[in-house]
Amino acid sequence: MIANPTTQVDWNGIAPIITIAVTALVVPFADLFARTHAKRWVAILIGGLGTLLAAGLCAQQYGSTGTVFGGAFALGGFTVVFEEIVLLALFGSLLLFATTMQERRVGGSVALMLWSACGALLMAGASNLMTVFLGIELLSLALYCLCGMNDRPASRESALKYLVLSSTASGFMLLGMALLFGASGSVALSSLTLGGLATSSFLWSGSALFFVGLAFKMSLAPFHAWSPDVYEGAPMPVTAFMSVATKAATLAVLARFLYAALPTGMSSAFLLPIWILAGLSMLVGNLGMLAQTDLKRLLAYSGVAQAGYLLVALAGTTALGLRYAIYYLVAYAIMNLGAFSVAAALSDEKEAGSALSAYHALASRRPYLAAMMSLFLLALAGLPPTAGFLGKILLLSTGVATGYWWLAVLLILGTAISLFAYAKIIRAMYARPDGKAQPELPVAPWPAMISIALYGIALVVMTFYPLTPSNIVPFVR
Amino acid sequence: MMLLALVLVPLIVGTLLFALPAAAQTLSRVIGVVASLATVVLVLAARGDDWSVRWLSRPFTAAFHLGLSGLSFWLALLLTVVTLSAIVACNASARRDLIAQLLFLEGTMLGLFLARDLLLFALFWDAMLLPVFFTLLARASHVTTAWRYFLYNFAGGLALLLATAAFGVLFGSTDVIGQAGVHVIGAWAPWILGGFALAFLVKTPVFPLHTWMPLTYADTPPAMVAVVSAVQSKAGLYGFIVIGLAFFPDYMKAYAGIFLVLGAISLIYGALAALAQSDTKRIVAYSSLSHLGLILIAIFSFNTIALQGAGLYLIAHGIFSAALFLVLGFVEEREETRSLTHLGGLGALNPRLAGALCIAALAALGLPGLAGFAGELLIITGIFQSGLLWAALLALIPIVLAAAYMLRLFQGVMNGPQRSDLPIRADLSWREGIALAPLVLALLALGTIPGALLQTVIK
Repeated sequence: MIANPTTQVDWNGIAPIITIAVTALVVPFADLFARTHAKRWVAILIGGLGTLLAAGLCAQQYGSTGTVFGGAFALGGFTVVFEEIVLLALFGSLLLFATTMQERRVGGSVALMLWSACGALLMAGASNLMTVFLGIELLSLALYCLCGMNDRPASRESALKYLVLSSTASGFMLLGMALLFGASGSVALSSLTLGGLATSSFLWSGSALFFVGLAFKMSLAPFHAWSPDVYEGAPMPVTAFMSVATKAATLAVLARFLYAALPTGMSSAFLLPIWILAGLSMLVGNLGMLAQTDLKRLLAYSGVAQAGYLLVALAGTTALGLRYAIYYLVAYAIMNLGAFSVAAALSDEKEAGSALSAYHALASRRPYLAAMMSLFLLALAGLPPTAGFLGKILLLSTGVATGYWWLAVLLILGTAISLFAYAKIIRAMYARPDGKAQPELPVAPWPAMISIALYGIALVVMTFYPLTPSNIVPFVR
Repeated sequence: MMLLALVLVPLIVGTLLFALPAAAQTLSRVIGVVASLATVVLVLAARGDDWSVRWLSRPFTAAFHLGLSGLSFWLALLLTVVTLSAIVACNASARRDLIAQLLFLEGTMLGLFLARDLLLFALFWDAMLLPVFFTLLARASHVTTAWRYFLYNFAGGLALLLATAAFGVLFGSTDVIGQAGVHVIGAWAPWILGGFALAFLVKTPVFPLHTWMPLTYADTPPAMVAVVSAVQSKAGLYGFIVIGLAFFPDYMKAYAGIFLVLGAISLIYGALAALAQSDTKRIVAYSSLSHLGLILIAIFSFNTIALQGAGLYLIAHGIFSAALFLVLGFVEEREETRSLTHLGGLGALNPRLAGALCIAALAALGLPGLAGFAGELLIITGIFQSGLLWAALLALIPIVLAAAYMLRLFQGVMNGPQRSDLPIRADLSWREGIALAPLVLALLALGTIPGALLQTVIK
């Protein structure tokens, strides 16, 4: 049963979400009054400040425990860590608006992205089924609009595809939630933990459908088919945000469900399909990358594979594994944002930096960007000296330690395949100019250049100073 | 701290070189020489040091643990001296990027040989591929070579990574290199050894995993290939000694047959292939395959004398192959070809160049008094003593063949009538002579008084 929400209001608990929501309201207003050529930077500045404020408020809750709003939203380290990752993704994606997208659309897009982030933040702390659904829909609804924000036909197609497919997945998920509700008689995740439910067929079928919905949002194979098309069509900042924030928020829901909401006495065979999908994603995602000619499509397939990697850490559902999943998620967020930032630095409104042909002989024209892009690609491939390397080691050792050695082997196989795709871009960047006239490259503003450097430094530092938060055990009551 | 500085100096200086304008070639060479000279001094000063800082405490303990003793010391000394020679040997046309990549290569490989932690070892194992990969990429006509080098070695690196993770989980710590009494046993142990062995065999390389090697050696700039063939190829054999023999002695013995056969095939095949090549660098590349096969057999004969011989021969091979590649690089710069069908008769006008090639080639074919001989003698004695009569007899064949292909190389380049179609260039310059001097001196020193090395190289 849900207690009456108004009796247990703890606004502090959702202060970061409220901050982002208020910022989302301020941005369109400021956009109305800003001068024509300042609109872009006004929106980015206000959005960025709101994000930083939210991140600060969020960090203060790291030590708190318990739930607010009648058990609908859990506080604590787990929530905070995932909220911070979402906010990192938001901040990084906002910066990408500096070069891409038409000026007159930036204000609205920033506002929508902030709303989308609100949904992701809700998912990070959601501890009943209603909040989970609210978060997912808020996240997705804003993204549908954002995907169609460009003038290209591909952008419209992307929005429509995402809307139709994602709604279908939401339908599955909602049915799953209804079955889970039927099993326990409550929407609270905490009520699922009763030992008597372990053999309930409602719980089994409900969890399966619930997981299908999550697998779609996380773009796990075989529910990944939407992601390359949607990523390709969506504006670049939106793709960057989607690839990181959606994954982080969905992983938060999945991890909370796996770690805290399953009935006691549940057999591990119940979870086997999840790990099988993880293994499949690693193969499908990495193989899919090989034939791509567009960076956003390539990173979409890369995202499929990386989602699989992340789940290797959760296999066996050990507390340590969750810490490594979070470490790898942070690393993934940074390398992905880094790659998108380089692409955005080579782009204008037309997003020329999205085509892989734009990277041919980049090293001779923009040595700094080429070097940083190489670093991010090496990180995605899991090579030193980057956090991708240490992350892979941590994932591998978790897989081996929990007995899922076949996942570890698949991870190695997948990485070997992925190297072709990543190294192909590096090879193109360091090829000699072929003498053909190349289009003039735009000059990126200094915040973009600095953010790229910071991502690079963060990746290297994380290798040698692996900060994995300890206070991250998820709870539901 | 001195050890940390030793690893970081080349890496940091290499990075800073990119801040220089690309046209500052002389300045970058001077900086490169100073930095690599500093590493030589640091290696000599830091001998016996040990430095450690905690890295991970979960899921297994790992540390930034560097140590400089025994085989590590000699390989680090070899690496720093060869790098110094290679940078001095770079002529005025050498680009800033090449110097920087040479320093990166030196730094990552110093990290590898100094690492006392398996995880750190794995990190540098993958990192040391990158400088060579990027250098090969920068030479546009050799993209396939870069591709093959990287993919072969990276695949090996992935096997190493998985094996390291499994080792850590099973043993609880990866901070083990150089420690006595670490024995990994159990059903998983052969698989872990297999992962390590795969990486080591690719790197060495050993037949049939060697196909990346002739291409890479032929296409890499001479200064870099000197370092790669002299030192990077030793990483796998070093791994067999400090990881395989130390932690998996029982399984190494159980599966020795496979490695002995692979070593023997490399030994014979490399020598025969070297006889058939007409590209000077490829001759040396295949001779490396043959020589390193001999060392592999020595390691898997589990005999103390053979193992000490292997340690000595590791260093000796490093010195003479670096000298060979540098001299052949000088020849290529002068005559703009590597083909034996075009070269010939250089000796009459270039006596100093001919002398340098002669010493290096004689050391490679195992002439008594030079470094190669002592190592070969010890190895064959040891193999014979361990009862592997067939291997000892097989090992004699390529020693004879080595004389044939090395003399063929020398004669093909230096002897014979002067070719009218070859450009006439000046003989060995002072700078080139200075680059070769430490290598030649080391060949003589190791050939006449190998005791200093033998007593400390392998305990």
